[in-house]
Amino acid sequence: MEQTLAAVRTDLAFDIELQTVLKTFGDEAAVQDLTLQIRPGEFFSILGPSGCGKTTTLRLIAGFETPTAGSVCIQGQDMTQVPPYQRPVNTVFQSYALFRHLNVWENVAFGLKLQKLPREEVRSRVATALEQVKLDGFAKRTPAQLSGGQQQRVALARALVNRPAVLLLDEPLGALDLKLRKEMQLELAHLHRSLGLTFVMVTHDQEEALSLSDRIAVMNQGRLEQMGTPSQIYEEPETAFVADFIGDTNLLRGRVSHSNGSTVQLVTEAGLPVWTDRRSEWNGTLPQKLVVSIRPEKIRVSQLEAAGHDAHNCYAGRLRQVMYLGPNIQFQIELATGEHLTVLQPNRARLPALDTEVQVSWSAGDGRALVA
Amino acid sequence: MDAVYRMQDFQDSVKCDRPPRLPQDRPVLRYRARMPWLQPLLLLAPAGLWLVLLLVFPTLLLLELSLIPDFRLGQVPGAYGVGNYLTLLDPLYLKVVGRSLFYACGTTLLCLLLGFPVSYWIALLAPRRWRSLLLLGFVLPLWTSSLLRAYAWITILRPSGVLNSFLGWLHLPGQTWLNSTPAIFIGMTYSFLPYMVLILYATLEKLDRRLLEAAADLGAKPSQTFWQVTVPQTLPGIVAAGLLVFISALGDFVVPDLLGGSSSMTVPRLVYQQFLGATRNWGLGSSLSLLLIGAVGVGIWLLLRFGDRQSDAL
Amino acid sequence: MVHPHKRSRTIARAPKKVFSGLSSSGLSCSLDVSTTRRRFLTLSAISASSLLLANCARQIGASDPSANSGGEGDSLSVYSWVNYSDPTLLKTFAEKTGIKPTVDTYDSNEAMLAKVQAGGGQNYSILFPSDYMVTQMVALGLLQPLDLTKLVGLDQLMDQWKSPVYDPGNAHSIPATWGTTGFVYDPTRLGFEIKGWDDLFANQAKLERKVTLLNDVREVLGSVLKAQGDSLNATDPVKVKAAYEKLAAFKPAIANFLTNGWEDQLASGDILISMAYSSDAQVLMAEQPNLVYVLPESGSSLWTDTIAIPKTAPNLDAAYAWMNFFLNPETSKELVTRRRFATPNKATYAKLPKAIQENRTLFPLETVLAKCEGIAPLTDALAQTYDQYWTQLTSA
Repeated sequence: MEQTLAAVRTDLAFDIELQTVLKTFGDEAAVQDLTLQIRPGEFFSILGPSGCGKTTTLRLIAGFETPTAGSVCIQGQDMTQVPPYQRPVNTVFQSYALFRHLNVWENVAFGLKLQKLPREEVRSRVATALEQVKLDGFAKRTPAQLSGGQQQRVALARALVNRPAVLLLDEPLGALDLKLRKEMQLELAHLHRSLGLTFVMVTHDQEEALSLSDRIAVMNQGRLEQMGTPSQIYEEPETAFVADFIGDTNLLRGRVSHSNGSTVQLVTEAGLPVWTDRRSEWNGTLPQKLVVSIRPEKIRVSQLEAAGHDAHNCYAGRLRQVMYLGPNIQFQIELATGEHLTVLQPNRARLPALDTEVQVSWSAGDGRALVA
Repeated sequence: MDAVYRMQDFQDSVKCDRPPRLPQDRPVLRYRARMPWLQPLLLLAPAGLWLVLLLVFPTLLLLELSLIPDFRLGQVPGAYGVGNYLTLLDPLYLKVVGRSLFYACGTTLLCLLLGFPVSYWIALLAPRRWRSLLLLGFVLPLWTSSLLRAYAWITILRPSGVLNSFLGWLHLPGQTWLNSTPAIFIGMTYSFLPYMVLILYATLEKLDRRLLEAAADLGAKPSQTFWQVTVPQTLPGIVAAGLLVFISALGDFVVPDLLGGSSSMTVPRLVYQQFLGATRNWGLGSSLSLLLIGAVGVGIWLLLRFGDRQSDAL
Repeated sequence: MVHPHKRSRTIARAPKKVFSGLSSSGLSCSLDVSTTRRRFLTLSAISASSLLLANCARQIGASDPSANSGGEGDSLSVYSWVNYSDPTLLKTFAEKTGIKPTVDTYDSNEAMLAKVQAGGGQNYSILFPSDYMVTQMVALGLLQPLDLTKLVGLDQLMDQWKSPVYDPGNAHSIPATWGTTGFVYDPTRLGFEIKGWDDLFANQAKLERKVTLLNDVREVLGSVLKAQGDSLNATDPVKVKAAYEKLAAFKPAIANFLTNGWEDQLASGDILISMAYSSDAQVLMAEQPNLVYVLPESGSSLWTDTIAIPKTAPNLDAAYAWMNFFLNPETSKELVTRRRFATPNKATYAKLPKAIQENRTLFPLETVLAKCEGIAPLTDALAQTYDQYWTQLTSA
């Protein structure tokens, strides 16, 4: 049933389209110049630190907020001024917002009853929804009698049962403990696959976003920083913020000193020369300020004497800290020029002792030049 | 160092038969531990004494008096019996009881109808910094005596009063307000609206607004959200406020007496008449009082039961 | 229980007005019967507790904060009506006798009785009970029989008070002031003259919701009984019923039953006729000269507030000095002139300015006055009948 619904919608280019949306509260812009397109059937995440405007964005889609400027289209229709109760979307709220005066069954049936559907249809659809979230048998309980995870499922069923065009999830797993969160992540992924629905999830948990999403929008201070697939976001961050926010990274700030065809050299304030692939971020002028992001796992650490391979960047340093993470080892290395680098290595070799001199190296392609 | 040792010695000697304690366990705590009932008793004693002396004891006396048919002050009491209560079944008195209930119910309903939108507005829609001021505005009339307020209403409601002058200015026909049933509802609603607003405000302020959004999200129009979420969620507060207004209105003496006109006999007025009027029939008066107390008691009992069930659900 | 209508603006007072009833059972009660002792005690406790509350309110209004302390030596503790306190009078009394009076006040006979009965009045040497209350207190054995030889000027009392029904031979009380019950209205505004109830009944159509009557069954029913030619204290249930029916038929004209609170409505013309005590009428008429007070030609109730000495009085000499001070025409003349009280003292009356002597509100013509009666106690059964008619009338 849900599958056919999803199929019907594929002819639409986008399920959700935000066009240059501005939302201000008083003098402060919670969201500005935001343009987003969410494709049908996509699992789309909005990721960012708290206060970045991601929840406001979701509320703009749900209709709880009206944009100060710009437009919101859902399934090709302009819904900028349409109240929430007339939008074909349903929300799973942060900490669930279940109706405490109703039991589980009545909570799930709430939307269907408002649609004045035949009693029999309400009954069967609620039953199906409860089954989908594995809560059959809990129908008569009140929300107060359920665990956090169970409440989460009720909230999901309550939204899904209405067969929305888009399911909005506001930090859906934020209130759960780690183990439960992992379980629910799997279930969300499963639900998304089996229903073929468009999911829009707001989260501050990058790992959750990376593992579940088809595409991610990273927001910061009310603006969209980058939108792309998880690997794009991780591997090819467009801004220093994204590079820093998604995963760990080493950011080296400096000025371009010269370029060499496909690579440019940057010199940090401490005097460290760093080679990196030339990208459009460099406008060709000297000495433009840039940042180079190098993921910790891309840096190799080797014994000092084993030095001298083809890496562009090869520096001596001293091992200042070693963190044993199980499968990986994380090193803090102080370079001769004073910069600190974080390096992640698979747990293969014998742990070097602290304060030993080591050599770090990475190729120009491992670093990524970004606008400072 | 010496002092510490001495303290230790002291403690050991006091609690010879107990396991040794840590030094920070002070002696006063031990005293409390031996008589766990003492502290609550001391805390409850003043209020308890007050309740027993001024509530329980007089109520029991009323009960005794009500069981002596037609007992009059200074009279040799007759045998116990339920004659007073049988007298109350006389249509004459039932009519008075009915009128009291009518006034109380009507006032409660009016207070709810007027109070809910106002409380809703103050709690959910008005700018936060205005709220205290707005509430203060509602509580302000409570600072004057109810008698004074009733006299003020006479000035407003009398045929040549403020209200009719205003209606005349609007070219509307004047009405007979004073000495009528509407005057009672106006006066009592005015008196008890603050209680309604205060309690409803407290309830609505605690209302989880995300529930309203959740309802809208599920397709509920504002009116549907109101009836299916706001009202059920605030029902305990509505019941509590309604009951408080009902009880107060049921016992109000001043407004029916001064504003109500010549056919506004109510139970409290009748009680007064029985105790200090022509017959001084304290027996009948007591049974009427107990009827009032009983009605109020049933109301409170319902509130507690209802409130319990509500809080179970929450 | 304090009657909540008491107004502070006027010195309007209600001697027996608020609740005039009296059960004759009070007279026949014998508290010495041992089986009733327990219940009597419990009743005293009720009175005491209600008084605790009532007094809290009243003490605030007491004219002298040191009240209640007197009783011995050259001081005198007086328990009086809330609106009787007159600082000039107290000052004059202190100057003339060297006795320092202190005053506590009450606002209903019942409150005063309850306090005295409960033993809270042991400091007082002087009380001001109304007529029917004197009868009741004498029956309860609460009043000191007067030594008439210590009183000067009893022979100057008007004839009605030489040996009043409520206290034959003035054995326990001397009259202090008196008044009547009648109608207050503005003749110009009303457009016709009122001589008695018949004028009200005849013009009922013009009076719809324009009349207030006293909130007192005995005054209202009694007054109509007089209009039918019966006694104010009629004991024939048929006649009482007839009076009730007249009132029930007149009901559309009755806006409210008010002992207090009618004044403003009458002054503004929203009410055309108010039944009122002459003392209250007097106060309003001082402000509203267009108003007149009429005593129904068929007569109405005549009430008296008296001075009496409780059995427990600690200072008898000072109490007699107080009584004599009131009986003395020279001193009582001043009080009457200043406060416009109707005096029962012929000698005092003779000394009054002509304007006050001819004030028919205070001193009605002898011919009308002769038709007035004091309210007398009823039997329990009859009181119950009156009460039920009243409930019916105010509940229709």
